[in-house]
Amino acid sequence: MSKHDRQSFLGINSERNLQLVRVGIVGLGGGGSHVVQQLAHIGVGQYVLVDPDVIEETNLNRLVGGTLADIDASLTKIAIAVRVIRNVVRSPTIAAYAKPWQEVVDDLKTCDVIIGGLDSAIAKDDLDRFCRRFLIPYIDMGMDVHEVGGRYLIAGQVVLTTPGAPCLRCMGIVTEDALAREARNYGAAGGKPQVVWPNGLLASAAVGLFTQLICPWHSKVPAAAYLELDGNKHTLVPSKSFALIQDQPCPHFHPDEAGDPMFDIRHPAQAGVGVGVDGARGSWWSRRTWARLRAFLGAWVRWPRETKPVQVNGEAL
Amino acid sequence: MIAHIKITDGLLRAIRGDLRRPHTFAHERVGFLTAGAAYAPGGGIILLCRGYHPVADEDYERSSTVGAQIGSDAMRKGIEAAYSNKSTVLHIHTHGGRGRPEFSGTDLRSAGQFVPGFFNALPRMPHGLVVLSNDNARGLLWTAPKSRPQYIAGFIQVGAGVHKYGEHHEQA
Repeated sequence: MSKHDRQSFLGINSERNLQLVRVGIVGLGGGGSHVVQQLAHIGVGQYVLVDPDVIEETNLNRLVGGTLADIDASLTKIAIAVRVIRNVVRSPTIAAYAKPWQEVVDDLKTCDVIIGGLDSAIAKDDLDRFCRRFLIPYIDMGMDVHEVGGRYLIAGQVVLTTPGAPCLRCMGIVTEDALAREARNYGAAGGKPQVVWPNGLLASAAVGLFTQLICPWHSKVPAAAYLELDGNKHTLVPSKSFALIQDQPCPHFHPDEAGDPMFDIRHPAQAGVGVGVDGARGSWWSRRTWARLRAFLGAWVRWPRETKPVQVNGEAL
Repeated sequence: MIAHIKITDGLLRAIRGDLRRPHTFAHERVGFLTAGAAYAPGGGIILLCRGYHPVADEDYERSSTVGAQIGSDAMRKGIEAAYSNKSTVLHIHTHGGRGRPEFSGTDLRSAGQFVPGFFNALPRMPHGLVVLSNDNARGLLWTAPKSRPQYIAGFIQVGAGVHKYGEHHEQA
């Protein structure tokens, strides 16, 4: 008997494939914490966890695995995620970083799939672009609560994008309006209302999309998907507007953008210049993006405290 | 140095479709795959496929000794396709069948002659040779014109699924 007996329909090699797949989870809040928990239960063996934040009391309404004691201990969200995984998976390989994702791109670019739970349109756009550059399928989750006529509508979406298929811009999730609005707010998406049950629905759908990429159990696996949540009707259904564009090529990212534009085989010292466990010099991506972000946001944002990256296996957490 | 190739399943499907087309006199078709590159932690290389450039019908030459012989025009066009974006050039053809294909002696001998020439125009990038089967692939990569080529450790096909094959993944 093994813990995989009840999911054997995922295929004869599913246990091995799940053990060997390397998943990046960027953002370990309301959505990402659910995702980590489920990935651990289905048997994913390799993780790159990224979230710069420490758990706060306001996170407890939705951060799966978080406890009152974690708040007292000012535990990082990645440490909570690591604990959740280790409670379920034997000998997982985990690289966990309490840093902005732009500082750990060398680890993220080796992921087979990245799942994002980011609030900001700017951050979603950047991560989508990064994934396309390194030919990584990206699954994005987002939810919001809208005031409508004095009452509230819970809405959200989970999308799968793969290189060549429609991107977040094609789908209308990243729009010029949203980017401009955030730019006016100095890059802040604002503290959006969040509750645990819609996050759970979206995260479950995200894990479903992930699992059918790695262990397809049916023959109609899509290269892109857009599922819309209506949290008032309690439905999660394929987007009708997406159906019109799902077979269109993406006009926003050109295939020739794939790869590191500074790559030079004659200078092998480039290898590993990205941020490693010692917090060394950042890669071209992290230096450029992070410098641009910091310059843009300037003194308006209180930056999260600098914490050491945590390479869990073989190193102290 | 461990090298991997990542390719979208749409691009791979297009390549297989092109290479399957019959030619008036050549017994098989060949093409050029272009790719970006990135270093992986530990010094490995990931080649990220960008596009496919088939050899034009008129650039094949009659030969009684090899399945497909292409002239210098075909090589020039392949390099030109890679030059504007400073891409890796991978000469690609298929042996059909199933399982991991082997290079023929002719593949290895001819690649040893023409691949080092790719570095003249594109010295920043590694270059090489890929042979496909209907469900697998094998590759050789040169990191410098005079270096010994190394086998591509694994292939990762992304799209409606993530499929890994090649020696690295089959041994894992």
